[in-house]
Amino acid sequence: MNNQNPIPPIPPQVPPPIPPVMPASGPRSLGDDPAERAAIPNIIVAIEAILRQPRRVMFQLRQPGAGWLIAAMLFVSVLCSLMYGVVAGTFSGGTQLWAAPVKIAAGLMISALICLPSLYIFTCLGGSQARLVEVSGLLAGLLMLMTILLIGFAPVAWIFSQSTESLAWMGTLHLIFWFIATVFGLRFLETGFSHSNARSLTGFRTWVVIFMLVALQMTTALRPILGTSKTFLPTEKKFFVAHWGDCLKGHDEASKSESQ
Amino acid sequence: MRHQNQNRSDGPVKIVPAIEHNPAPRLRDRQSVRLGSLGVFLRARPERLREWMLCRQLNLMVLCAVAIVIGAGIYGAVMGSWRGPWQALYTGIKLPLAILLTTLGNGLLNGMLAPLLGINLTFRQSLSAVLMSFAVASVVLGALSPVAWFVVWNTPPLTAAMRLSSPEYGVMQLTLAGFLALAGVVGNAHLLPLLSEWARSVSTARKVLFAWLVGNLFLGSQICWVLRPFIWDPSRPVEFIGREYFHGSFFETVFEAARRLIFQ
Repeated sequence: MNNQNPIPPIPPQVPPPIPPVMPASGPRSLGDDPAERAAIPNIIVAIEAILRQPRRVMFQLRQPGAGWLIAAMLFVSVLCSLMYGVVAGTFSGGTQLWAAPVKIAAGLMISALICLPSLYIFTCLGGSQARLVEVSGLLAGLLMLMTILLIGFAPVAWIFSQSTESLAWMGTLHLIFWFIATVFGLRFLETGFSHSNARSLTGFRTWVVIFMLVALQMTTALRPILGTSKTFLPTEKKFFVAHWGDCLKGHDEASKSESQ
Repeated sequence: MRHQNQNRSDGPVKIVPAIEHNPAPRLRDRQSVRLGSLGVFLRARPERLREWMLCRQLNLMVLCAVAIVIGAGIYGAVMGSWRGPWQALYTGIKLPLAILLTTLGNGLLNGMLAPLLGINLTFRQSLSAVLMSFAVASVVLGALSPVAWFVVWNTPPLTAAMRLSSPEYGVMQLTLAGFLALAGVVGNAHLLPLLSEWARSVSTARKVLFAWLVGNLFLGSQICWVLRPFIWDPSRPVEFIGREYFHGSFFETVFEAARRLIFQ
């Protein structure tokens, strides 16, 4: 039979293209980027890396021989905190020019050492696979980032130190700078732990509160850092809230006597 | 169609599904269930903890007991150090002792409550589970010991002017008690997923955990009452345990204090 309307040829079935495999949602694995795998050869590169390529620092802390990097970060932390301490000491001058840097550097290191065991335990409980060396390295990274940022605030702190005689105001200003620097440092630490297969960061966040309180109390335990005193360390023990209250009361009384 | 009659009776073949009640996990190679270090214990997921409870019970109980003695012992020593070295020694012994006595004292009760409320645990398994939660709490206390020591160091020393109502003593007491409460919460939070894994039901696990908590708190508070003081008793010299501590109870004292507060 003649077919007046021939059926058009059916084109060959082309299978649909296979979509590219999308990476699973969540943070990229450390070391994915080749730049992160580049070793950190010296202190200058370490400082650059923690500011611009924090993931590179986190990756290098997992490699064998991370001890050198940890020591370098601690050295930078001590150096930067000594430098910031000199700026803080210029408020009162005299013995504070050496006492303030020593107290700030020592206080920072001792606070970190006091809080290191609880950091390791809380992160283990959260499921983090980070070993003690890596946890120590991340804590050293926090200290380094914190103190580098404090150096950034140092010129501002120095100008105010030369302009005002108010101990309460200068104390508040230094605390604000310290708080901002600590927030950035803690952000580095939290990112580091988020790459360690932690199931939960609740324990870490609890540790953050403990760390902040210990650091605040350390400033009171090692007082005076800004003011003057006959002794290097205080003879009376106080908690930081009581000390701040006394400072503010002293500031109010001084203002009242000036106005009278 | 021919029916295959497996039991040689004339009726149809009944296929009865196998019901597994808390089937034991496959006993894998012993290497994979090693307890290993403290970090391994703390990071372990509920399935791994359950395997250890089934395959490595004695090792697990020994590890937990050692963790309690060391972790709670160090924290207890820090608590007592404010009063003096002898109080540090006594509290370093009393705190782990209170934990272990509470666990053993309630061992039978906890072992009975678990199956009654829906989790098929043996007495030894329930003892292991409770020991594990106390071990986690003790490890947390041990880790917080440097912080606690720092708080104690910052508290003005004991003088003739110091009273129980002094604010500095109050801050130290609250902080030390707060750390104990935090460690307890962490320990119990670690136990709940294990019980849920065992019971295959979160609500059943919560019921059992709540029942164990009530029992442990009830007995534990009285044991602590008997073993007090842990920090300081202004009316007594430093001693391990005094004869008058066996008079009265924690709950009677709380009831009397509440009665005086409300009705005076």
